[in-house]
Amino acid sequence: MPHHTGKAANMAFSEEVTSRHGGETLTSCYQCGTCASSCPVARLDSSFNPREIIKLSLLGEKEEVVSGDAIWQCCSCFNCQERCPQNVEIADLIYALRNIALEAGHSPNIYSDFASALIDEGRIVKISKFVESKRGEYGLPPLKPVGIEDLNKILAATGFTKPEKTEATK
Amino acid sequence: MEQPKVGVFLSDCGKQLSEVLDFAALTSFVKTVPNVTLIVRGSEFWRGKGLQSIIDAVKDKKVNRVVVAESLTKISDVNIAQAVENAGLNSYLVEMIDLKDHCAWPHQKTPKEATEKAKAMLLAAIERAKLLEPIEKIEFPALKSALIIGGGIAGMQTAVDLADLGFDVNLIEKAPFLGGLSARVGRFFPTDDCAICIQPPSSDVKTITHTSRKCVYRSGFSEIPNLNILTNSKVVAVEGVPGNYKVTIEKKPRYVDADKCVACDKCVSVCPVETLDGYNANLSKRKAIYINVPTVHPQVYVIDEDACKFHDCAKCVEVCPTDAIDLDQKTEQATLNVGSIVVATGFKEFDSSNIKEYHYDNYPDIITNLELARMIDGFGPTGGAIIRPSNGKPAKKIVFIQCAGSRDRRYNPYCSGICCMISLKNASLIKEANPDAEVSICYIDIRTTGREHEYYYERAREMGIKFVKGRPTEVYADEEKGKLIVDVEDALLKRFLDLEADLVVLAAAMVPAEGTAELAEILGVDLEADGFFKEYNAKLRPTETKQKGIFLCGGATFPKDAPTASLHAHSAAMKATKFLTRGKIVKDQRTAVINEDYCGDCEFCPVTCPYGAISLVPTTEDHFVARVNDLLCEGCGVCVGTCPLNAIELRHSRPNQMEAQINALMSVNGTSKPLVLAICCQECGHTAVDSSGMAKMQYPANVRVMKVPCAGIVRVNQILEAFKAGAQGVMIVGCKTDGCHYEDGSDKAEKKMDFAKVLMKEYGIEPERLETFNMVYIEGNQFAEAAQMMTERVTKLGPLTLMGDS
Repeated sequence: MPHHTGKAANMAFSEEVTSRHGGETLTSCYQCGTCASSCPVARLDSSFNPREIIKLSLLGEKEEVVSGDAIWQCCSCFNCQERCPQNVEIADLIYALRNIALEAGHSPNIYSDFASALIDEGRIVKISKFVESKRGEYGLPPLKPVGIEDLNKILAATGFTKPEKTEATK
Repeated sequence: MEQPKVGVFLSDCGKQLSEVLDFAALTSFVKTVPNVTLIVRGSEFWRGKGLQSIIDAVKDKKVNRVVVAESLTKISDVNIAQAVENAGLNSYLVEMIDLKDHCAWPHQKTPKEATEKAKAMLLAAIERAKLLEPIEKIEFPALKSALIIGGGIAGMQTAVDLADLGFDVNLIEKAPFLGGLSARVGRFFPTDDCAICIQPPSSDVKTITHTSRKCVYRSGFSEIPNLNILTNSKVVAVEGVPGNYKVTIEKKPRYVDADKCVACDKCVSVCPVETLDGYNANLSKRKAIYINVPTVHPQVYVIDEDACKFHDCAKCVEVCPTDAIDLDQKTEQATLNVGSIVVATGFKEFDSSNIKEYHYDNYPDIITNLELARMIDGFGPTGGAIIRPSNGKPAKKIVFIQCAGSRDRRYNPYCSGICCMISLKNASLIKEANPDAEVSICYIDIRTTGREHEYYYERAREMGIKFVKGRPTEVYADEEKGKLIVDVEDALLKRFLDLEADLVVLAAAMVPAEGTAELAEILGVDLEADGFFKEYNAKLRPTETKQKGIFLCGGATFPKDAPTASLHAHSAAMKATKFLTRGKIVKDQRTAVINEDYCGDCEFCPVTCPYGAISLVPTTEDHFVARVNDLLCEGCGVCVGTCPLNAIELRHSRPNQMEAQINALMSVNGTSKPLVLAICCQECGHTAVDSSGMAKMQYPANVRVMKVPCAGIVRVNQILEAFKAGAQGVMIVGCKTDGCHYEDGSDKAEKKMDFAKVLMKEYGIEPERLETFNMVYIEGNQFAEAAQMMTERVTKLGPLTLMGDS
């Protein structure tokens, strides 16, 4: 683990996070670990630990936080956020970190695939023939086509663009 | 009234001021001021020949007003004022200014400008002095008796202290027995001594000392003749003023006559009713007639009203050998007349069932530290055995969870301060009695800040107690294993531990005792945001409240361990003693006074007064006027600034006195810069000016300083008048809003100045010409910077043109 460098540029990272929607509560954390022990993902995968992500952010380790895999593993169950005794909005904070990562050009390829699919086909997940046939079996109406032109106008207005494909993170 | 004859005593502080100020010019200036009958120059006036010259002038009736210009480091207000008083002139007819720290030193580099400012300062002091009135001392009778509310360790210690000194003391306790929380916790850290041990009566005044022992029940405590102990009783109403409180108390029936009961236990043996014993955390049962534990005071049984069948049973009445039981006793009310009241109501454990994920309500084997303390106590429900309440079997694996409800913004954001030590104590006591027990403590931070406390932590580690740095997310039951599981991440290892436990102990947060808010309402004192009683000032007056005769001690102000509660108790006793000892309260009538002809009974001032000193009194059927209680008034003047009809004045800071000062300060400029008036509160504001001068921090001489009791006294119209008098800018300098020496005077001043800015706009005055500042004494640099900034600001704005000016 890289040790805390103390560089002013790095320290500004915690301010970058707290100035973001969802990241405001970062500095309330006192590292009690309630989030970690509440987290179903952390139990399964030792590379993800919400307490550690917050600690690294507080220490200004931007590069490690935004270029790594960890922030993309949160399943947004909000258990941590419910139980945090300092009212740190941990799940929201991870969204804020993801936004910072995206802007810095870091995202796992699956996310850029989702974004491309949304722009090109109007859906995040492609509809397979299998799914369509299943709908019929269950008596569901067939899916209507998406108004791609209108959707793209909205996406353009919000600044949603295809993210660059990055080197797949490990 | 006699024509004012002002004597001006002008010190050059051992010639050091004459390096900057032109004293010849000052003297000839002062000579021209009407009513100045005497000018004396010297190098010091606070002692020796200088002081004698003041005394002589007063004695010879050459002067009836005294203006002393002396340097701050030598000014002894008390010295000079006392000498003047002794010479036959009221001390409030003395006005003192500091030409060194407020003029010569901060304006060292501009001697000419400094001399002109000194003229203005002298003129302001003289003009104010002319308008000063004598202020007399007033006396109020005070009873030499006290009421202590709460019979825990703090209340008992205070009671003993006061009784020792011969005052009549009433100690009131809501529960049927004394001891409070302290008696229930069994032992105290860091000494591990017995909790019912107190410092016994020790005085040779009235109490017997040779039989005194330290156990409460053997201490002779109850035999102190001037100590009236009232258990099973509570305060329901308080009327009156400091020195003379009329307290109504309600005494619940005990159904057992204290004078007859011999504590023989016969009643208990025949009582057929069993009920859960709340004192022992419901871990055992007791009879409807009971005594908590054998070692309590008073040694008199009590009947539990909710459980007893009274006349349907009456078996106890039959067996009582002394006819002590009276099932027809009724609730009684009584009145106590006391001079002062000490609140020692303590704290209690937070209700852990609020923390849903810890399932305190769902599993009987999850208990709190207080419940555990009852188990550890040999007199307790298990006789000292550590068991699982669910099945009564011994608990081998015990896990403590720290900060259960403390440091938690969902419940109590503060650190309760003592729970780490409580858990260390209880964990060590368990380990000591049963070395095979597996004891773990889950913590966020271990806080052991008192003397010997760190040693306690060290000893716990030596004993093999395990420490897990992490706050558990949940406790749940593993039915198969028959264990509780504490789900926690050890943050240092970054490893998830599912700790198995027979017994989980929550270090529950400490919160204010039951009934704290109601009592605060009855007493008219404030609570902090955390719900505990608010002390007047945490550093300066830690055991006092804004009500002069009401004091605080022990856990009533915040959770405390026994040594700290005891220390606090002795301190409160000392404060109450100082208050009671003379049998009267003497104070200067430097108080607010209401012009009843102008008063519009709008209720602003009674609400504004931080001390409850103003009340509305009916004059006719439908007309009320405000009246000030001189005893309660602290002389801040916040009411003066609040009154929309300008119907209130503060003695010694009357509007005409302030106006004369403002006019004088603005009458002499002598600099090329625009005049700025700095109205400074006498606490932090004015002392910040002192400290900037003492450190020779330079700021422009066009900034003129006027002292007021509190920034809150300033009326909006006075700001406008200052501009009319020639000020180009006005600074209001007060204490920090949360450090105001008169509760919220600074805050009120700030709000009022916002309003003044609106008015200024109406009159065509730029609102930027008025600014409020908050600083503390040591921030002299901030005053100097603020003065510089305001000067620059108003210079930039250019000369002020008032409406009506051509």
